[in-house]
Amino acid sequence: MKQCQARVLDLVEVKGGFFSLTLYEPYLAATARPGQFIHLRVGSGVAPLLRRPFSVAGADPAKGTLHLLFRCVGEGTKLLSRSREGELLDCLGPLGNCFISSGAEPAVLLAGGGGIAPLIFLAESLRAAGRELYLFYGAAKSADLLPLEQFLSPGPVVKYATEDGSAGEAGLLTAVFQRALAAGLFPGELFACGPRPFLAALAQQNQRRGYPLQVSLEERMACAVGACQGCAVLIRRNGREDYLRVCREGPVFQSTEVVW
Amino acid sequence: MPFLNVKLGPLELNTPLLTASGTFGFGEEYASLMQLEGLGGLVTKTLTLLPRAGNPPPRLVETPAGLLNAIGLQNPGLEHFLAAELPRLRQWNLPLIVSIAGDTPEEYVQMAEALCREKGIAALELNLSCPNVKKGGVLFSADAALLETLVSRVRLAWEGPLIAKLSPNVTSIVEAARAAAAGGAEIISAINTLRGMVIDVAARRPLLGNLSGGLSGPAIRPVAIKMVYDIYAATGLPVIGMGGIMHTADALQFILAGAAAVAVGTANFVEPHTIPQIAAGLHQYLEEAGLDNLQELVGAAHL
Repeated sequence: MKQCQARVLDLVEVKGGFFSLTLYEPYLAATARPGQFIHLRVGSGVAPLLRRPFSVAGADPAKGTLHLLFRCVGEGTKLLSRSREGELLDCLGPLGNCFISSGAEPAVLLAGGGGIAPLIFLAESLRAAGRELYLFYGAAKSADLLPLEQFLSPGPVVKYATEDGSAGEAGLLTAVFQRALAAGLFPGELFACGPRPFLAALAQQNQRRGYPLQVSLEERMACAVGACQGCAVLIRRNGREDYLRVCREGPVFQSTEVVW
Repeated sequence: MPFLNVKLGPLELNTPLLTASGTFGFGEEYASLMQLEGLGGLVTKTLTLLPRAGNPPPRLVETPAGLLNAIGLQNPGLEHFLAAELPRLRQWNLPLIVSIAGDTPEEYVQMAEALCREKGIAALELNLSCPNVKKGGVLFSADAALLETLVSRVRLAWEGPLIAKLSPNVTSIVEAARAAAAGGAEIISAINTLRGMVIDVAARRPLLGNLSGGLSGPAIRPVAIKMVYDIYAATGLPVIGMGGIMHTADALQFILAGAAAVAVGTANFVEPHTIPQIAAGLHQYLEEAGLDNLQELVGAAHL
């Protein structure tokens, strides 16, 4: 982990409010693993005051580039969406742990809304390793979904779901996934990222079948390096419950150890 | 080159810039990002006698120019600190200030006794923003008689420099400073966080898991400056000033108000190199002002 100055190479609005940001920072590009994040300073004043964490959506060590995907939702992301090509962004990273694949096939990735970013990185890395791959991607409505074909190499089977049925299958992502299981999908391992209620439902539904499930959790963060203990989540390990840090012991946890 | 070294009663520092308790862990997290030797001293996360699990999440939220937090003093406890953290902290060549808190005066005393037997601790800082469980939860900082008794009991158990870190959530912080001094504290740290709350409108509930928290950051700076100014004017005690210091000019405000040293807290989260940057800024300021020593500026804003 280092403090780096990443240069903005490219910033495009993929669709209404969604941005794709490519940064040049060879150290981050070479060391970031799927599931990890960077802590970015947006602006130089007190609004926003704190850095903002962003999951790494891709890295190209050969080109020295790092890819982020974000949606404009607040002051921080609004400012970031106005970054200019060539601008230097102060960041800490790579931070946190990463997804670890056992190699069991097929790998099934489940992304709820903004949880897609780290799973794009994971999908690309598993695909490069020649793994059989399914990606389930859901949101409330079509406007909340990113066009994945722009970021994913061909190969993985992608299933979209929206709650209002405006794109892909209609219904909650968890329900769409359950239907796929009922129809004969037999996952080797599961990786999920998204809102906590989605992850909690997924973990609960998965209890009976017991597929290995790694979840990437989010929590409000201040330092992102483990000093402030702000991003605590309750985790059960070795028979005891403790508050662990999303930024250090996480963001990726086994679903069975999270106290939902 | 002008000098930044300062003397706070019995505590001497090469640089008047400390880490505020709870914002730098036990140093380990930041050791890979910066040269810790550039710090004037490291104030540890507050320790309690027994380990504390901390508060349920969410534990923090950003507010306008501020950070509201309710961590709940999560820490591994005194025993773990002595066995695992202190030996590592001693290896870094910098003054170590250990922050402690307790539910009762007895817990403070017991910790002070244990720490007094250890080498390599430059000073003890009493976090006095905790409720006294034995007295119906009144803050130790809020009851002058109680505060004086507590500090005097710790004074008997601890031989080194003793710092009283006061809560701003009191009627008169000057009275609290006087009581701490009467009990035997040589140095005052001011201020701890201001109590605050954020309501999650969508949920119609307080946002933090603990409901309320402590506010830090630039939002509280003018409040902190005024309290440091008042403590200095009324008592003349050496003060470690803190509350929203981000830049050199902020540190200078505290020093001019009467702080002999300052601590950086929330800014560490934003820019880990804030302390070395301010140290360089203070050097430059003194040179441009033609001053030899920072001590000449302490309290200079007073008429």
